[in-house]
Amino acid sequence: MQFSYEVNDSYAEVKGVGRLNMVAAPKLREVVAEVVAAGSSRVVVNLAETDFMDSSGLGALIGCLKAARQAGGDLRIAGVQPQVRMVLELTNMDRVLTAYPTAEAAFGDD
Amino acid sequence: MVSTSSPRHAVVVEDDADIRGLLVLVLEQLDFVVTEAPDGLSGVEAVRRTNAELVTLDINLPDIDGMEVCRRLREFSDAYILMLTARADEIDRLTGLDTGADDYINKPFSPKELQARIRALFRRAARTPATPAEDAGQSDELARAAVVQQSLLPRETVRLNGYDVAGAFRPSRSVGGDFYDWYQTRDGMHLTFADAMGKGMGAALIAATVRAVMRSVADTPAIDAAFGSASATITSDLDQSGSFVTMFHARLDSASGKLSYIDAGHGLALHVPAEGAARRLVSAGPPVGILDDQQWPASELELAPGDSLVIVSDGVLDAHNSLEEFQRNVEKVARNGATSDLVCAALLELAPASTAEDDVTAVVVRRKPNAGL
Repeated sequence: MQFSYEVNDSYAEVKGVGRLNMVAAPKLREVVAEVVAAGSSRVVVNLAETDFMDSSGLGALIGCLKAARQAGGDLRIAGVQPQVRMVLELTNMDRVLTAYPTAEAAFGDD
Repeated sequence: MVSTSSPRHAVVVEDDADIRGLLVLVLEQLDFVVTEAPDGLSGVEAVRRTNAELVTLDINLPDIDGMEVCRRLREFSDAYILMLTARADEIDRLTGLDTGADDYINKPFSPKELQARIRALFRRAARTPATPAEDAGQSDELARAAVVQQSLLPRETVRLNGYDVAGAFRPSRSVGGDFYDWYQTRDGMHLTFADAMGKGMGAALIAATVRAVMRSVADTPAIDAAFGSASATITSDLDQSGSFVTMFHARLDSASGKLSYIDAGHGLALHVPAEGAARRLVSAGPPVGILDDQQWPASELELAPGDSLVIVSDGVLDAHNSLEEFQRNVEKVARNGATSDLVCAALLELAPASTAEDDVTAVVVRRKPNAGL
């Protein structure tokens, strides 16, 4: 899985392409930690091209959410695909990690 | 690309000699030492022999197909696997299938695009091959973690009049955080089924904590109060680790068949009644360890004679394409097994060891059809 990110005025967008599993989870943590350390604590993880996530991947998202909140910001997700949505709903995490249709919409309300 | 002191190996698995030659050229430009394989089996052998970090894999091969090669490679290798297919529409299908490949590319491909993708894969990974000594240390720790995890499973069997209770567990190579625990009580039994996020010793230790804390609240009369106080303790412990635990906890009153339960982000328990459709028990809240001050309401169901309660870990779900397919298969297996032991064994088979990346765990509580007669 590969990650890339872009920082704009109001938030940083992290994109992941592929499968968010045990192998990819630490990489996501690293990328988000890097983004937060660089001063962007409002983070959108764009999952439009992430077609699979397991519990390790979910764990990485939670860890990143905690890191962003500790830095005074927040982490939101966008472009959630069906399998990822299923995992979020099963674990009731859809109430904690709010999903937005697009990265632009994620911090559009504030 | 930065060249390192030890050469990086790649394997090209492709039956068309022209395309194979082109791929070799493309990869050699990226400083890979390339081994060619004209079919699937020799490809698997080449990856094993060279400890390759990158594999390009054609989907149509003369012996075993690319998906099968991928499955076999994933048993021992974490190389980047780039699958090549001649049909653009096949990429969608393949990504849905969870093949184990890291990326897909269309034939005919542009060598520049291929190189860009491979560079991107490796830039993000910045993978450093472990030295043999580190490897040994790692497998040592994993072996210890596996021992911890194994020690968490209940040694005593539950002998409840009119019930057949069984559990089964298959650890993954990397040792995950699955476990289940049960014990008999005056009125019936308590059951905990949990999956601590993460792998290795970290996950095993969290699982051990969860087990101990859940046992410590066994005498608290109300299940929701017991779960609430246990989860608060677990959450404060987890705060340092950044981990969390999905849990299913239940108390059975064996005479009446009344089962009280709390599902915290697990969502993979099914009530399979003797008559009527199976029902998945919907989770009452997120996993434990994510939010402070979280409450999980308890629910109840009646386990009638002939009914089963089936709980599996997400390793079983991950082996299916949809929640519906998962539920159908679990229900079928639950209805077909003669004993809870056999049902558990069949549930593990739903996630074959060759493809499962995670631990796989199953628990079945069946109320015998002739109970009370």
